[in-house]
Amino acid sequence: MDAMNGPAGPSASIEQDAACKQLVAALARIAGGDRAALRQVYRDTSAKLFAVCMRILHDEAEAEDVLQDVYITVWRRAGTFDPARASPITWLVAVARNRSIDRLRAGAARSQTLDEAAGVSDDAPSALDQIESSDEYRRLMNCLGELELRHAGAVRSAFLEGVTYEELAQRMNVPLGTMKSWIRRSLLRLRECLEQ
Amino acid sequence: MSDEPTMDSDDHRPVAGEYVLGVLSEAERRAFEARMARDPRLRAEVEYWEERFGALASEVKPIDPPPHVWANIEAAIAARSGRGSLWQNLSFWRWATIGSAAVAAVSLMVLAYIARAPAPSPPLIAKLEASGGQASFVATVDSKNTGMTIVPASVPAVNQRALELWLIAPGEKPQSLGLIEPGRPVHIAVPARLVQGIAPQATLAVSLEPPGGSPTGQPTGPVIASGKLTNL
Repeated sequence: MDAMNGPAGPSASIEQDAACKQLVAALARIAGGDRAALRQVYRDTSAKLFAVCMRILHDEAEAEDVLQDVYITVWRRAGTFDPARASPITWLVAVARNRSIDRLRAGAARSQTLDEAAGVSDDAPSALDQIESSDEYRRLMNCLGELELRHAGAVRSAFLEGVTYEELAQRMNVPLGTMKSWIRRSLLRLRECLEQ
Repeated sequence: MSDEPTMDSDDHRPVAGEYVLGVLSEAERRAFEARMARDPRLRAEVEYWEERFGALASEVKPIDPPPHVWANIEAAIAARSGRGSLWQNLSFWRWATIGSAAVAAVSLMVLAYIARAPAPSPPLIAKLEASGGQASFVATVDSKNTGMTIVPASVPAVNQRALELWLIAPGEKPQSLGLIEPGRPVHIAVPARLVQGIAPQATLAVSLEPPGGSPTGQPTGPVIASGKLTNL
């Protein structure tokens, strides 16, 4: 089962919906101290969350360490997950991203990686086989598509790699203030578009 | 929405979308989280953007993590639940390799230390062990129980986490003795209120904590080594 195909919208596929429900049930059992449930969630989601951590940290040992923290956090805080407020996948990805970004900031002095030197272009949605068909994903892509190409690229890079304004500005070779206004304007326009 | 940015202002308070995207500095993130803790509207905004941008995570190709990650998680959870199962779980200690040379060196250091500081009563000492009886740290207590020296026998993989030393008197809650170093001996002054607890049968334990130590005053991370104080 791939439980991580994106949040299940109202007309998401039946498989996604079932995977989502299974995750919600497992998180509830984890909150009650069920270790087998944690194992199940780990089995179904760790490859995705590890990739999310790797994308931000670019370092296997760091990503492994953060991934460990992520599931220990899940174990401790599954009781705070509220299925009425978020999908379980969103919640797990948010925990993994927040931990990774905090770790990245803590080690901010480390040298830039080769991937970073490559700029943001590799974040363009290139391979068709990677594009998921969830409603949520399609809606976001439509709205990103209405932004200027470079602005959309900056938003995607920020989310997928957790890089700071400063680094984004450097990579795209624009002043910091410009980058800030690109992102903020993009957030406003995305919100308008998503709420239509 | 009160937190929408003002386009023409250069300095502004970060908005939820910026927090979720991850473009803020560490200080800005902490400041935003503090505001969010007081303001449920900000929390709702963050959830909104997490749900919307979360769909992008579907583009990331899954990578299987190595098996020891799960082993470590299981061990940390076993330690948390306070049962003895940590000690049976050898997998947690796969990383903890201790060369015999290191142990020998520590033993010498401890002996040298004791030789230099003859005590009126037999000195208290504790070998803090991981599973398998391997020494991770050796603690020697000063003559009047007002301090102790902690010598690491191996350098644990702490990865930006702090090592916190705890005193657990029989039947009592753990009391922090402060942070110790993974790579060098540290002398710790025992707070006056805890001196009485430094006695045979009390346990010393080392846990992994966030930088700066446990935020709660009790161990929050896995216990990586522990041992009882005994008279030498």
